[in-house]
Amino acid sequence: MAIVSVQNVSKDYMLGKTVVPAVRDVSLDVGEGEFLSIAGPSGSGKTTLLNLVGCVDTPTSGTVVVAGQDTAKLSERALTDLRLRTIGFIFQSFNLVSVLSVFQNVEFPLLLQGVLSKPERRRRVLDLLEAVGLSDHTRHRPSELSGGQRQRVAIARALVTRPKLVLADEPTANLDSQTGANIIDLMRDMNRRDGTTFIFSTHDPKVMSHANAIVRIADGRIAAREAVTAPGGA
Amino acid sequence: MASRGDATRVLLRIAFRNLGASPVRTAILGAIVLVGSLIVVVGSSVLDSIDRGMRTSIQGSLGGHVQVYDADSEGTLELYGGLRGESLLEPIEDFARVKAVLAKVPNVRQVVPMGIDQAMVATGTTFDAALERLREDVRRMEAGDRGPERLRLYAAHVAHVRRMIGLLGEDLEAARAIADLESREIKSRMDEFDALRRAGSDEFWAGLERDRYAGLEFLENRVAPVAMENAFTFIRYVGTDVEAFFRAFPLAEVNEGERIPPGRRGILVGKQFAEEWLKLKNARRLDQIKDARDRRGKEIAEEEELQRWVRDNRNGIKEILLQLDPVRAEEVAAALRAALHVEGTEGLEPLLQRLFAATDRDFDEKYRIFYEVVAPRIRLYKINVGDVITVKAPSKSGYFSSVNVKVYGFLQFKGIEKSGIAGMMSVMDLMSFRDLYGYLTKEKSEEIRRLKETMAAREVDREGAEAELFGSPAPVQGETRSAAIDERALVRSAGERAAGAAELGSRVYSQDEIESGVALNAALILEDSRPRAIRRTMSDVRAAIAANGLGLKVVDWQEASGMVGQFVTLLRVVLFAAVVIFFAIALVVINNAMVMATLQRVKEIGTMRAIGAQRRFVVVMLLVEIAAVGLAFGLAGAALGGVVVGIIRAAGGIPAVTDLLYFVFSGPALFPTLGRMPVAISLVIVLAVAILSALYPAIIAMKVTPVEAMATED
Repeated sequence: MAIVSVQNVSKDYMLGKTVVPAVRDVSLDVGEGEFLSIAGPSGSGKTTLLNLVGCVDTPTSGTVVVAGQDTAKLSERALTDLRLRTIGFIFQSFNLVSVLSVFQNVEFPLLLQGVLSKPERRRRVLDLLEAVGLSDHTRHRPSELSGGQRQRVAIARALVTRPKLVLADEPTANLDSQTGANIIDLMRDMNRRDGTTFIFSTHDPKVMSHANAIVRIADGRIAAREAVTAPGGA
Repeated sequence: MASRGDATRVLLRIAFRNLGASPVRTAILGAIVLVGSLIVVVGSSVLDSIDRGMRTSIQGSLGGHVQVYDADSEGTLELYGGLRGESLLEPIEDFARVKAVLAKVPNVRQVVPMGIDQAMVATGTTFDAALERLREDVRRMEAGDRGPERLRLYAAHVAHVRRMIGLLGEDLEAARAIADLESREIKSRMDEFDALRRAGSDEFWAGLERDRYAGLEFLENRVAPVAMENAFTFIRYVGTDVEAFFRAFPLAEVNEGERIPPGRRGILVGKQFAEEWLKLKNARRLDQIKDARDRRGKEIAEEEELQRWVRDNRNGIKEILLQLDPVRAEEVAAALRAALHVEGTEGLEPLLQRLFAATDRDFDEKYRIFYEVVAPRIRLYKINVGDVITVKAPSKSGYFSSVNVKVYGFLQFKGIEKSGIAGMMSVMDLMSFRDLYGYLTKEKSEEIRRLKETMAAREVDREGAEAELFGSPAPVQGETRSAAIDERALVRSAGERAAGAAELGSRVYSQDEIESGVALNAALILEDSRPRAIRRTMSDVRAAIAANGLGLKVVDWQEASGMVGQFVTLLRVVLFAAVVIFFAIALVVINNAMVMATLQRVKEIGTMRAIGAQRRFVVVMLLVEIAAVGLAFGLAGAALGGVVVGIIRAAGGIPAVTDLLYFVFSGPALFPTLGRMPVAISLVIVLAVAILSALYPAIIAMKVTPVEAMATED
């Protein structure tokens, strides 16, 4: 069963009066529990594809189905709701809310959901912070943390709602290679622990080697989809 | 289960932390909001207090709650006078009928007849006063009093009059020296020169000893008119049912003397008018200097105006010297020598010079000496309680009417004693007003009827009859109300009809006589005088007037007060404009700051949107942020406004530096009170402006797409 199903999707941007195609006629299925890397050089369309899958952008043509929902048929509000309940996001530059503490940043999506009671939220946030190794930093502000720590907070925030799908756009690009590797390991652990589907983009071969499948993109098209048989290493 | 409360809490948390994260921006926005709310709170507190003060002053002095006057009037009622003199009102012919109708309207407690006009009052001159004393001596001497004390006084009074004639002669000679001897003006006054020259000669005074009455007559008829400078003054008065007037206007009170007895003719002279126009100029200036020093904290050494007053006082001592005959002059001089600790035999003139050359160091002492030593021995006011004065005015017919009325006392208005706006007003009985105004009282019509009968039906129309009967001085040039005034005729006629005045003065009029006749306007006093009740009663009054065909115009107290009443409206407009301008600027500044803040936070907002925050969430987040600033600093501003109001009160209020302010403050200073309404209004305005100015940034925030979160930095 595919958690993400992309069928013949194209996305064009307007640059002045010129049409710039970013994604051209892409079709892609991602199964539940996959740890998929989208690989390609800068400007190849990785981010655009992730945006389309993450329902933060709409395709010019084609259909995107996420968790069984055809995104073209959803209203803006419903799309936002879908993102809130089904998808977690990890950003290249961490994107934490600067005025909130580590704990509060992680708690934020739960407050938006408004489902859990305060003790339940607390339990879940602390569990996750322990899992990402930041139990001692719950009261810190993002500005007091290193890049790697910040990205761990972002991972915890992405996972706190127990989403089916986590999207990560170049999660290691702003980190040194060792930290980046640790982050990827952490994501992989989470993928294994909860069966959460991860799709992350990268142009770093070492990072993509951790995935169990790699989709290579060039000029907005899928160049290849290869399974990685022996994940790990680097 | 989590509730909305959790989302609200995070909204507040983010909003407050964002405010804390950019303290400079918050401080600027806060300062704007704070100042705005301060202006509104203090401004409207002051305005409300002024409104209250003005209400007290106008309603309590002349306005009442509602005024009615003839609807066909050319002018509008201006109780405190307008820029161009008295407004032209058509008379209410039969006040009794108006009262009968209006008194029945619900909520109307009292209907008070009024007629406001200006008139001239003959005040007599120093020369007249000196002659009067001389005449008294002559009368007693002729009656047989030849004692040494009498002869001493007589000699002193003769010397006094001769000295004054000498001074008058000097003045006239000086005038002749610079005048064109061939001019008509000089020629017409030639007989004045002759009279003065004769009165100044030794033969004249020798002759006086032979026939004193003949000499006195010459002095009174030929010389006194030459000395009639400042012999009359204008008064503004309201003719009214005096008893009803004092019941209707709680601020009115008699300062000195007594009320006009019920039904009598008489006048209560405005105290402030007396201070400004009837008081000896030197005394008046001393009062002004004292007032400036005590109340306004000025000093003679520093203030040019005060120095000028001191100088004027030193130049003005002639006015005091002229009042004193040699006997009294020496009395005053002796007392002054003692008070000022002067050795030897210094004369009165240098002593007075010494007295009036005041400095900050000795002013209070010299002020006291003046009032204890000099004032009791001179005529301080031109009109005193008990005097019978001649009031003269051009009547409706164009001829001058005049009445003699007794001064029963001085009138002032509690709390606004020093205001010229109300304090210029004198109160006179309605009968005398009608005589001056030129409308016939019943008794006069009756007299005319009888006269007609005895004179065998000589046809005289009403206006002619009046001229026939009263005063009938030759019609003054032109027959309009603005007729040129023949000053000499006015002064001469002052004593002419004293006998008739005495008779009229002792007559007691019935309430019916007072009310049946002409008035110009009527004040209505209401039971319930709250603004809404006044409005309701006004429409009831209009209905009653229409139903009875009275043809009256109905105005509220504020409109009736004329320009004075517009003052608060004007202030309101000014404050409103200031507030509007301030908040327009505030709107732009807050808007700018919030737009900047929003643009800086595009990535953060995009992130929130990406991870599942609805548009509403980010909009509310922004509004909460600005509303928090508005509420916190708005409250602080209101509190500060309360403190400012408190400080103003503690510091003795806002001083009334002008007469108009004194009147509208209803006292020498305004003590603003902090109302609940101004605080509520200021908070509403501040919040409305804050939220309005956050609308555009909110729209920007709403348009931020989650894609912005993905954009890489640098």
